[in-house]
Amino acid sequence: MNFRLPLLTIALAASFVSAGAASATVKPRVVKTNLLTSVAGQARDAAPAAQTSGQIAIPGPLRSFMRMAGLSQKALPEEVLPLLSEVVAVRGYALGRPTEFLALLTRYLHQASELVALAGAQGVIHVSNCQDAQPLLDILGYRLQNPCGPDTAVQTADPDRAFLTIDSGFPLAELEESLRSNKPFVLPFQPSPVPVLFTPGDWNALVGNPQNSDLINTLLLNPPISHLYSALSRMDSETRTALARSPGLPKLLRFASVLDFYGDHLSIRSGQVLVPGGTAAEPAWKELVGANPQSPDEFVLHLLSKDAGWLAAYFDALTTTSPAQQAYFTEPNRLKRFYEALRGSDPLPGAAKGVFRPDPGLVLLTSRLEFDANGQPHVPGDLALWKEIFRLNPDSKRTRLWARRAQRWTEPDQVVEGLIAISREAISESAFQTYLVLCDLDRSRPPQDRLTPQTAHLLAEKFSRFGDQYSIFSEFSTLNNDSITDYMTTALALDRIVLPSVRGNAIGIFQANLGLWQILVRQGEIPKANLNASWRQVIGPFSHMASAVDLFDAGSASMRELWRAATGRTDLTEDEVISLLAGPVQNTKEGQQVRENLASKIQAVISAQRLVSLDTLLTLGNGLNEMAQGKANGDSLLPLAAELREFEMPRPIFTASEKFEFQYGRSDTSHTTLQTRVNVATIIKSGNKEELAAARGRLAPFLRDTLVGLNYAYYQPPGAQMLLNNAIFVRSHDYSERTATEGTQPWKTPELINMGVTVGGGTHLAGSLADLPYALALVEQDFIVPEHVQSLIWQDLVPSLLTNAVVPRWWNVSQNELHAVALYQRCGEALLNSSAGNEELRQRTMEILSKRISPQRAERIERALSSGQADEAIRDVVPAETFFLAATFYAKYPNDVDRMGAEGKELDGLVHLHSDEVSLERLSRDFGVSHPALAHSYALELMNNSFFPTFRDYSSRLLGESWESNNLYWARLADELGYPAVALNRLVPELTRRMIEKLFASTLEDWPAISRAMQETGEEFRGGKISTISRVRADSRP
Amino acid sequence: MIKKCLTIVLGIVALLGAGWGKLSAQEGQSNTPVVHVDVNLVLLNVAVTDAKGRYIVGLKPADFAVVEDGVPQKLATFGEGNAPQRPVDDPALNDKGDKAEGGSGQPASADAPGSPLAGANVFILFDTSNYMYRGFALAQDAIAEFARSLDNPERVAFYSYSRDLFRGATLTSDRSQVLKGVRSTTAGDNPALYNALLLTLKDAGQYPGRKVVVVFSNGPDTASMVAPEDISELAQSEGIPIYVISTKEARQDEVSSTVFRRMTVATGGEVYFAKNWKNQQAAFAAIRDDVGHLYALSYYPHSNPNRGWRSIKVSLVGPAAKKYHIRTRSGYRPKVSHVGNSAQGQ
Repeated sequence: MNFRLPLLTIALAASFVSAGAASATVKPRVVKTNLLTSVAGQARDAAPAAQTSGQIAIPGPLRSFMRMAGLSQKALPEEVLPLLSEVVAVRGYALGRPTEFLALLTRYLHQASELVALAGAQGVIHVSNCQDAQPLLDILGYRLQNPCGPDTAVQTADPDRAFLTIDSGFPLAELEESLRSNKPFVLPFQPSPVPVLFTPGDWNALVGNPQNSDLINTLLLNPPISHLYSALSRMDSETRTALARSPGLPKLLRFASVLDFYGDHLSIRSGQVLVPGGTAAEPAWKELVGANPQSPDEFVLHLLSKDAGWLAAYFDALTTTSPAQQAYFTEPNRLKRFYEALRGSDPLPGAAKGVFRPDPGLVLLTSRLEFDANGQPHVPGDLALWKEIFRLNPDSKRTRLWARRAQRWTEPDQVVEGLIAISREAISESAFQTYLVLCDLDRSRPPQDRLTPQTAHLLAEKFSRFGDQYSIFSEFSTLNNDSITDYMTTALALDRIVLPSVRGNAIGIFQANLGLWQILVRQGEIPKANLNASWRQVIGPFSHMASAVDLFDAGSASMRELWRAATGRTDLTEDEVISLLAGPVQNTKEGQQVRENLASKIQAVISAQRLVSLDTLLTLGNGLNEMAQGKANGDSLLPLAAELREFEMPRPIFTASEKFEFQYGRSDTSHTTLQTRVNVATIIKSGNKEELAAARGRLAPFLRDTLVGLNYAYYQPPGAQMLLNNAIFVRSHDYSERTATEGTQPWKTPELINMGVTVGGGTHLAGSLADLPYALALVEQDFIVPEHVQSLIWQDLVPSLLTNAVVPRWWNVSQNELHAVALYQRCGEALLNSSAGNEELRQRTMEILSKRISPQRAERIERALSSGQADEAIRDVVPAETFFLAATFYAKYPNDVDRMGAEGKELDGLVHLHSDEVSLERLSRDFGVSHPALAHSYALELMNNSFFPTFRDYSSRLLGESWESNNLYWARLADELGYPAVALNRLVPELTRRMIEKLFASTLEDWPAISRAMQETGEEFRGGKISTISRVRADSRP
Repeated sequence: MIKKCLTIVLGIVALLGAGWGKLSAQEGQSNTPVVHVDVNLVLLNVAVTDAKGRYIVGLKPADFAVVEDGVPQKLATFGEGNAPQRPVDDPALNDKGDKAEGGSGQPASADAPGSPLAGANVFILFDTSNYMYRGFALAQDAIAEFARSLDNPERVAFYSYSRDLFRGATLTSDRSQVLKGVRSTTAGDNPALYNALLLTLKDAGQYPGRKVVVVFSNGPDTASMVAPEDISELAQSEGIPIYVISTKEARQDEVSSTVFRRMTVATGGEVYFAKNWKNQQAAFAAIRDDVGHLYALSYYPHSNPNRGWRSIKVSLVGPAAKKYHIRTRSGYRPKVSHVGNSAQGQ
């Protein structure tokens, strides 16, 4: 999705704007923190980032420096310089010039140095009384407002200095209080030592002054040095030490930005580089790189220097793939051929240009590639399809070249080669994106049910318009080719409706009903055996429509088919519909309470949005029809017609002419405006049969809003401020073709329109209902009040976290299943504990863990285990990893359950007694997360990927989707605290929201900050300190 | 809070009772949708001024007439300035000896003793967006001065905002906590004033008694999701006047200045555009003065089927009517809750 870039944030919130990052969808969010926030109790999950051998002193308290540098107050001293180098590399420069952020940080360091000097050798600022305060006030940029006494206060004298004083969190209020009471003001103000990677001289030597330069200044003023420092900080010590020795820092400096982007998985062991594909692939890598992996210095320099970083990007992408994928890609012929395709004739723009890595497609393709039974890469449809797709997408020199080559393709390898070649282009709507999406459609289908060539052709042909809707076919793989074709046929028919208002309403009702179908299937309320039949029954009524009356009838009929599929009845009241959406009927008291609570939340949104009830609309529709046929009189319909008129726009602040004059955002208000003019009562009173017959059509916009509103209400994020306070949010959902991507809007993922447009009536969505949970979360994130003033909240990460708190529901989860989730996590921890004292077990454990964590972290964990510090190792592993560790170990070594302690035996017993209930497939399906960006599906799944870094077009959305720990952790807490599984339906949104309030991060890839916030929330929960959660407990337990 | 709950079974119930159509025939009484309109005691903060803008004190309940949707209302309680609200039939209220003769009021003296905000809950909302960068320290001084100037009886909350809200000090009578909150603010990113106001009003709405929100804003809102109309309605419905102190830059932004003027008027507050930080302090003083001279009127609305916007008109009767001006909120929207038989099985 495309959102505007943030404006340059002047203070700490320095912009991420940089050359080459213009298409990035990132919104760095910085608010500020209270200086007095304690740094005690810092998170321990982010262990030392670097092996250090020296230290430097930063002027003043670390908390002030971190505040000015935009670093989390929870960072440890050893993390300060690695994080500083990262933020300088990312935020310090825009278009080659220092940002205001950097200027402020530099000025702060001067001010802090003056304060350190004032503090003297004792390192304490001491103002004995009010009369002695002036020297301190001069440095701070203040003066006394009144003569010393009870009324004195400080007043700004030098706004620039005062700004630094405030921004760095100097305790000004305490100083004022001391001056007023004429008591001494005492403040320790000493330089803060922080460890340095290697020695300060090693870094200062890079600027030609190893003895006298200040390392902080060296980092601030030299972006390449910041890049290099950041890159080496994220490597394991053996690799880092080897590289520092040879080729050495000066040579590495030339390729620092490449190393910073693609060096995380470089690993040098026993004097040689570990390459993707292992020993067997070494000759191929030697040939491709032009150096032997057994000569690490030469190999790494060649790798970094070749083709403006593209070879390093290729190497890095393959490092994180599965063994099968590595074997495929590193087959000598392919390795070289595919790389040549990636490189093309021109390596520019380079792979390390800009703030974000430029080729997410390469990583998605290599890590998601699947193979057919014959070992060939999977190609949806047939080869002819991909020849055609490439032929039809010649929008650049590169794609034109591959369009020509594609015509000679004879095997799937060539398709992959072509895709790698075009991965460097922007991937939306391209052949590349089509491939990823269609592969995801086939991924969970058995071979006999995969897309037929005809279906694949149809989907590919219409991809640019309907592609965003295909995620529903990925999620429900039992929808067969006929069902998919029916959908496409109907969607195309809706697109042909001539009148824009009818077309928009038709598409809205169609999408809303299928959205409700999706919910009911997920919740198990529409039986799986009935998936295809119910799908087609819901779609069917839309196949032939010519007028608004047809639309109202089709929408109503489709809706009734939906209710029939779920309940066997077609005449549900709106209350019953809401109950149905809230969840399946519950037999336990706690289940009933949770369900009622969710129903009331849905109802609250429907009321706040002032939507006309389905009961009213259907009764009115029937009555108008009967009147048109002369079967009834209209007296009893008039009150219902009056309900349509009860909808009021909010009291206007601007006059119509002012709106016209001031409005500069994109907005189409014709839908809401028309609704305010509908007057069915007049038609009823007229008794004109023709008008009465046509009047049902006037109900269609209202029907659309109520059905769309039910979708919104179901996916309401915790808090739901926009839904509960902007009464026209749902009605403003824009299905027209005018306000977003030209001509394709009604089928695209929704965009946010009018954010920050004061005259626009509030933000609303324009587009389809695909990705609705994410879009609503995107809106809600701005209403979450951070616990820390300075808390970087990511534009893409937080909505992903919220989405995965709202989409999953736990109605059909048993206590055994819940317990199994907890046991797997505890078993993982037990395994780490046992590994601390057993080298053989440690090797097995680390072999498993290393598949999904970085070499640096693997080294850190192994070191902790080797030294018997299992607790430290456990703190460095997140719940999804302990789960993965235990599950993999148990599958691989079923006879060694005793290595996982008593928990292992209990798990073993549970698995034997309830194998289906606690199978890994089921746990993944119930406690995984949705991956709409990564896998084009809202199906829940534990993918067990390592964390994705930031990429162009995705920012931290991929990171958000690769974060799979939350729901596993919440489930474990619920199990250990004795909650029933159904309580998760209320607990998870609340806990996730609380966790987001606690996020306190330094960079866009700061996953330890996510872990820290989650653990802190868990501790609060265990301690009964979250009041809303306490109510959940009271409600959900007998 | 005193609360009445008026259960209004609206037209739809009558319709269903009459046996119209399939729905009522099949669903029967158990599925009758019932709409509850919850109407709290409606509290009005009313400023009365003369032609010179001086506050008029000493008016009595009988001097006021309140009309909701055209229907005259009976006052339930009455209070002036710092005095506690009392039932209108309290003899003390009708004692004419303590204030103006004839109950028609008189201009307040400039040196009236006591705290003008006594008993009020004051929510300060400070713009810390990047727009505030250059004048940030000066603005912070002004707010610190304002917080210091509030006497002890009233409770103060201090919030700041840029894109997000930050609760620097939750509602407290401890002034040092508020000052710490003020002095610990730092500049953030884009301003989302209306989002922040929404959350502030919701916080304020949780407390009983008189509440005011004082906003210090530098002007343009570039990041809000909600509209100013939403904020204005919420503030009116909660009976919370919004006061805005803004800068000359904001005055030049026609959109912001228009919103500030109309939103404050609609809620019964005021807007001040200050040229410099000294003027900001003067504006804060004016707000203190204004809030200290408000009359607090309340009434329980007569039965009213209107589920939408209800207009309120307050006027003076008798001799005062011609001499003085009135400022208060212009209406409110009652809370409508739907009570059905949801989640009771399929």
